[in-house]
Amino acid sequence: MIRIKGGKIYDPAHGVDGEIRDVYVQDGRIVAAPAPDAPAAIEYDCSGMAIMAGAIDLHTHIGGGKVNIARAMLPEDHRYTRRARTALSRSGSGHAAPSTFAAGYRYAEMGYTACFEPAMLPSNARQAHMEMGDTPIVDKGAYALLGNDDFLLRLLAGKADPAIVRDYVAWTLRATQALGIKVVNPGGISAFKFNARKLDVDETAPYYGVTPRSILAALTQALHELGVPHPLHVHASNLGVPGNVDSTLATMDAAEGRPIHLTHIQFHSYGTEGDRKFSSGAARIAEAINARRNVTADVGQVLFGQTVTASGDSMAQYRNSRHAHPNKWVCMDIECDAGCGVVPFRYRDQNFVNALQWAIGLEIFLLVDDPWRVFLTTDHPNGAPFTGYPHLVRLLMDRTFRDERLAQIHPDAAAASTLGSIRREYSLYEIAIMTRAAPARILGLRDRGHLAPGAAADIVVYSDRPDREAMFARPEYVFKDGRLVAQRGQIVAVTRGATHTVKPEFDRSIERPLRDYFDRYHTVAFDNVPIDAGEMVECGSREILVQPCAGRT
Amino acid sequence: MSQLLGNVSCPFCGLLCDDLQLRVDDEAVSVEANGCERSRAQFSVRPPTAPACWVDGAQAPLEEGVARAASILASARLPLLLIAGTDVAGMRSVLELADRIGAVVDHAASDSLMRNVQVLQNTGWVTTTLSEVRNRADLVVLAGGDAVSRFPRLFERCVDNTSTLFDATRQSPELIFLGRQPPTHVAGRHIPVDVSRLSSLFAALRALRGGARLDADKVADVAVSDLSALLARMQQARYGVIVWSAADFAFPHAELAIQSLCELVQELNSTTRFCGLPLGGTDGDITAHQVMTWQAGVPLRTRFTRTGPEYDPHRYSTQRLLGDAEADALLYIAALDTTHRPPAVRIPTIVLGRAGMAPLQHSAVQIAVATPGIDQAGHLYRTDNVVAVRLRKVVARQLPGAHEILSRIVGCLPQERN
Repeated sequence: MIRIKGGKIYDPAHGVDGEIRDVYVQDGRIVAAPAPDAPAAIEYDCSGMAIMAGAIDLHTHIGGGKVNIARAMLPEDHRYTRRARTALSRSGSGHAAPSTFAAGYRYAEMGYTACFEPAMLPSNARQAHMEMGDTPIVDKGAYALLGNDDFLLRLLAGKADPAIVRDYVAWTLRATQALGIKVVNPGGISAFKFNARKLDVDETAPYYGVTPRSILAALTQALHELGVPHPLHVHASNLGVPGNVDSTLATMDAAEGRPIHLTHIQFHSYGTEGDRKFSSGAARIAEAINARRNVTADVGQVLFGQTVTASGDSMAQYRNSRHAHPNKWVCMDIECDAGCGVVPFRYRDQNFVNALQWAIGLEIFLLVDDPWRVFLTTDHPNGAPFTGYPHLVRLLMDRTFRDERLAQIHPDAAAASTLGSIRREYSLYEIAIMTRAAPARILGLRDRGHLAPGAAADIVVYSDRPDREAMFARPEYVFKDGRLVAQRGQIVAVTRGATHTVKPEFDRSIERPLRDYFDRYHTVAFDNVPIDAGEMVECGSREILVQPCAGRT
Repeated sequence: MSQLLGNVSCPFCGLLCDDLQLRVDDEAVSVEANGCERSRAQFSVRPPTAPACWVDGAQAPLEEGVARAASILASARLPLLLIAGTDVAGMRSVLELADRIGAVVDHAASDSLMRNVQVLQNTGWVTTTLSEVRNRADLVVLAGGDAVSRFPRLFERCVDNTSTLFDATRQSPELIFLGRQPPTHVAGRHIPVDVSRLSSLFAALRALRGGARLDADKVADVAVSDLSALLARMQQARYGVIVWSAADFAFPHAELAIQSLCELVQELNSTTRFCGLPLGGTDGDITAHQVMTWQAGVPLRTRFTRTGPEYDPHRYSTQRLLGDAEADALLYIAALDTTHRPPAVRIPTIVLGRAGMAPLQHSAVQIAVATPGIDQAGHLYRTDNVVAVRLRKVVARQLPGAHEILSRIVGCLPQERN
């Protein structure tokens, strides 16, 4: 038994805000306080320290084809960022596009114990799982991409029975070993293959004649009826386009009141005001989130410096390729299923647009009232590498620090933003909500993100330092499933993570048309599409954890 | 007992066709349907069933071979791990070993592969995948080679389809062979060009696209009027595809020709959709590239140094390391093709060869290993870099996988100090 003694507990799932108490761990789980005569525990004296559940990143591009393209195309990102091997850990490299081992270690060193790959193409699912299998310590999960795949668009074009759509969604979740479904630029990636360069929420997609709105409605409905805990994860239309705040609001409403998660919403919160026709839409977006209880969002904060953008949104990435820095970029059309684009990018604080993007992200964080419905992400690596999280936490918790940074950005951007007038500072309790309790809840992970008996013993102990960046960069202790894996920012043990999935029930008769479809038109046979549990272990997963679905049909 | 298996994946070229029908008769395997010459030959190789290991040319117990391999690698100053065919599991073990002993990792097909990687690192590209080509392409340009000599079923799988997702009665896409002569059974237009002059040809097409007037009648022996017509045809395509195999671009600085091709494709997308389709993947070269890149952060031709992986495509090429006698031990893995042979070198050589590979005279250690996709399940990457094809075990032979031998070698290395 382990006793984590005397720390201040931040466990928002149970309303615990800084109360001093001990946490006990046995066999990888948090347990109730033992009887006084119980055998002696290994004790960690954590007096004065802050204790939280392991952090959960619900949107980070850690595995899959586009990430590996980013690595391969950027040797300059890896040359001076090498990580040496130790007797415990493997070598690696990379800042914006780190190698899998390096990413797993660094996440664990920062107190993260679960990471979710948000853009797993069904046709590339094996790669995503193999890369995640080589990402040590943290648990993983992935959202399968739908909504630009020919099969679904064809179903919607043919006004298929929603039950068929539901079965197809469930089959996809199972076949790809996914935890949720994401849609990227609904219909837009497909439209780009037909040479369309934009697709608004109510525009009809070429060939199929369906609108992004109808795709969003069908997928939110299917997931809701299947009882998949995570709402449809949406990368909205018109990413990065000035004025896209309107299509973002239309996207929220396309869910017709059903749960919907808008990801990296900062990139979708732009107005067209001002001399440069680029302005902050953060206030309208935050107001809309505050007013719609069915909507959650993660921010996709921009932090200044070199990074690389890797996205399934080939339409947007082709448009953005003119901003590539360094000047090289990749776009791919993939298997009548999806696409991708990889564009290296450097966000500069003296560039008006970049500086305003930075401010817009922070405005959204600070203007959304409910920390249960806004999540801390940089859309790694698209807004910034995940290693910037401690800095971002400080920007949210420390107004003086934030204002100092605001004074350094492009003055017109600072003037165009309301950021300087926002006084709000996040508390440790609110940080614990947005990085632990809330993501666990919205992903349906019942035994993660909290510290009650029965929870997995993913526990992080921080020195309560006034410099929140230093505090969150190097926790004192990180426990994964009850094992001490990192201490003061150093890996002390290496474990393998599990994979979170869902397995909703469905009518298997969908497999007949799917078999015919794959065998007739595709270059992978239907029999060779699904990934079974044994293959997941081969891919590197420790085990599959199936999260329950409460079907509504 | 004879058994028929359907939808089997074929690991013997980068197309990774997964529709083969095999007949398995005890340990004999034959291709019943959807094969090609290469798959028929490779599936039917019938290896000796007993585990085989040779040390200094003489049969030896497996433990002795593993121990000797570990001792050679542990005492080497600069070991070279040269891959000529293994799957994802094999590559993972290769990299675990390389990281441990500070080795360089390279692939026997890297000269070709790195031409593409260099383009990726210099300009990037716009590419597509096999199912997209199969269903969308209305123009396919073959640059350099004829594609089917190296990838026998490419046209059968992706071009000669009478029914596609978007057109139930489509004609096959127009084929233009830019370079070598098309095979006799293929109906395509031929524009003869010396492959080594394709760089100039693509540069000319790019200039014409940009509105330049060329002060020449011919470029690479092709009339400028023909080039203008070719460009117009490419710009009229709704979904054009240009296919190349980097192996066909075997001349100095061929990466510049491929780069020029890729820049042309990028530019054509300003008005229509046009994509490249690089052909490769045979002998697991793309597999090696993918696993190396995700585990180390950098591609092949990397050395695992004390401070981490150091990528240097010139310094750490096999040719240079062996030519300049810098490498002092060689581990060579060819688990897919029994005809592959390690380079003849004077340094101690360890060979993990597909069972059935003849014993080699000059190897210090040789161990027969399983073939992924026949003896063991596994994964290999297809030519398009996207699909990791599932390989199945089709016959029960008692052969160790390359990854198992490599793990045993790692287990025999001296204890690591931190």
